[in-house]
Amino acid sequence: MTVAADRLPSLDRRFGWAMTAPGLLALSLVVLFPLFFAIFTSGFEYTLLHRKYDTFVWLDNYRSIWSEGYLGQSLWVTTTFVVAVVLLEFLIGFTVALMLNAVQRFKDVYYLILLMPLLINPVVVGLIWRMFLHPELGIVNYVLSLLHLGPVNWLGDVRVAFWTVVLVDIWHQVSFMIVLLLAGLASLPREPYEAARMDGASIVQAFFYVTLPLMRPVIVVTLLIRMIFAVKTFDLIFVMTRGGPGTSTDLISYFIYRSAFYGLDLGKASAISVVLLLVVLALTGYLYRYMRSLA
Amino acid sequence: MKRLLLTAGLSLALGTAAQATTVHILMENVPDTQFVKDQLPEFKAKTGIDVDIEAISYIDMHSKLVPQLSSPQGSYDAIVVDFYWVAEFTQAGWLMPLDDLIKRDNVDTNVYLPALMNLVGRVNGVTYMLPFYNYSMGIIYRKDLVADPKEQAAFKAKYGIDLKIPTTWDEYQKQVEFFSRDTNGDGKLDFFGTVNQGQRGDCISMQWSNYLYANGGQYHNKDWKATFNSPAGIKAIEDYKTDIAKHGPAGAESYCFDEASNVFGQGKAYSFVTFNILLSGFSDPKSSQVVGKADIAANPGGGLNGGWGWAIPNSSPEKDAAWTFIKWIESKETVKKRALEGGAPTQGWLFDDPEIIAKRPEMPQLKVLVATAQEFPTFTYTVDFVESLGRELNLAVTGQKDAKQALDTAASDFNKLAVKAGLQK
Repeated sequence: MTVAADRLPSLDRRFGWAMTAPGLLALSLVVLFPLFFAIFTSGFEYTLLHRKYDTFVWLDNYRSIWSEGYLGQSLWVTTTFVVAVVLLEFLIGFTVALMLNAVQRFKDVYYLILLMPLLINPVVVGLIWRMFLHPELGIVNYVLSLLHLGPVNWLGDVRVAFWTVVLVDIWHQVSFMIVLLLAGLASLPREPYEAARMDGASIVQAFFYVTLPLMRPVIVVTLLIRMIFAVKTFDLIFVMTRGGPGTSTDLISYFIYRSAFYGLDLGKASAISVVLLLVVLALTGYLYRYMRSLA
Repeated sequence: MKRLLLTAGLSLALGTAAQATTVHILMENVPDTQFVKDQLPEFKAKTGIDVDIEAISYIDMHSKLVPQLSSPQGSYDAIVVDFYWVAEFTQAGWLMPLDDLIKRDNVDTNVYLPALMNLVGRVNGVTYMLPFYNYSMGIIYRKDLVADPKEQAAFKAKYGIDLKIPTTWDEYQKQVEFFSRDTNGDGKLDFFGTVNQGQRGDCISMQWSNYLYANGGQYHNKDWKATFNSPAGIKAIEDYKTDIAKHGPAGAESYCFDEASNVFGQGKAYSFVTFNILLSGFSDPKSSQVVGKADIAANPGGGLNGGWGWAIPNSSPEKDAAWTFIKWIESKETVKKRALEGGAPTQGWLFDDPEIIAKRPEMPQLKVLVATAQEFPTFTYTVDFVESLGRELNLAVTGQKDAKQALDTAASDFNKLAVKAGLQK
């Protein structure tokens, strides 16, 4: 009944393939198929009115993207939005995670409260905040008025609207950062801290020389995932501002949506999506390699 | 015995299966949909046909409908079509012509107001829809304030004209200015002459259209060349900006009709240029503090015409049952019930029916409003145009772009789309 020792790895490998095959198949169906379909569509003059793949236009759809007047603005808004939400959520998230990591009692209660926003559907988040931020009838301006502040024109002022959306996104998504970072902190080994304390390191020193280096892989993954999600933000914009006032919150995902469902031009919408995918892929690849270099 | 039972059971099951026809309809979540839902038990009792209404919000409808309409067999047997989509849906060949059925069953389509039959009924002589309800726009205003002798005297003293239902745009703008007030003396307006729905997209496009018509502007000439980047268009933007800055609540440039109607419903505004269907909501004590105080007037120069029509998609699995339903829901008896409940009628005679007028005194005004309403450009790319217009108007209103420049950009987009649709050579 014994299996020759040298055959074990190959058997293991085969068993591994057999176990992962169904998952891989499902993934390729739901991920790869739509992906290739989008790439395929981007090469055709394919609109919702003319749903036939009979006019192959090579790279015309890609060329026509750049003639879109407001694409540059939309890309700029998206970049600023992603940098703002990822950085701010990381700073807040890491601070809260460090605090929670030190807490001994009522941890579950804090968890529950923190996770609450994350459980709410983004459309509902948008609607709730639209009501809260109503300049005349909303509770936020009412509270500010009690403090003799405001009223703030949250979503109608060009200079304010972008940051309002960033703030609502932080409210909604920051718990995601907290949870991931907290899991990372909880799994850190105790020994380096004890060694640091023996060497007379202060709390600040322990943070910069022990916690931060050990946490680096977790931080990179967290930032990466959050960044990818942030690029895809759609619901909040759709419900709260429709890209306005003017074009100040016009994120790329809403831009693509408009090309597809208002402009009816699926070919062009697919082309913009493919370009966006390449950008995100390049960023992800870079961050992934950076992470590997740390390990 | 056993066999008998089996046969009886089987025939019962088959009988039920044969009867259990269900008509699936996708509708928008609005008062008229609720009025339709209320009448479904009666339809079921009469015909044995079940009707399953999926009511969702407007923003999800188009993207939900398109895949269903373009596949050979969709999941909706009947649909309601917004006037925006009429050209797109008919040009794509998604809607079934109803003329043969209308002729076969002697359905009288002359009962509909011609303005609505043109908007959401007939396209190039073919009937694709029966008009369901209208949402033509007008001015919802506070009739108690207009009737107040003190206000009347003060208005006369200030402007030298009577305070009454406005018949010219200038008169209305004077009223808007007159009623904008700082009632508690803190230096900020807290009662508004008007409320704008200036959010980018269709909110601002729809409302601003009324400003354009009121200033004598039109969207295009008979060759489908854009004409709204005219002095009238610029004046319409200036009026809109002034109303937001001087006569309206903070943030109106980001409101859609729900936020705006809340301000009016809370008794904080004199008037509101909007969809007529919102009026019935202000008589509901649960959500309104102006019960019995709101009325509607036609927009001077005509308001924007809007409406929905019943249609049967070519991809409908149950076309016969869908037609039976549409015929019944648009029958005289049923539409009258809906109008009595507060629905927005499309058949002309309902506006003159004494029983309905007794319950809804605004009916004669509504008739004028619908009859004088102006048509927004409906063509294959209406949705795309509304988006571009909404963006440019919002840029202008928020001071990021000069009014003329913004209108020129929107006009150039309009011309491109009109060429693409084959309307402009």
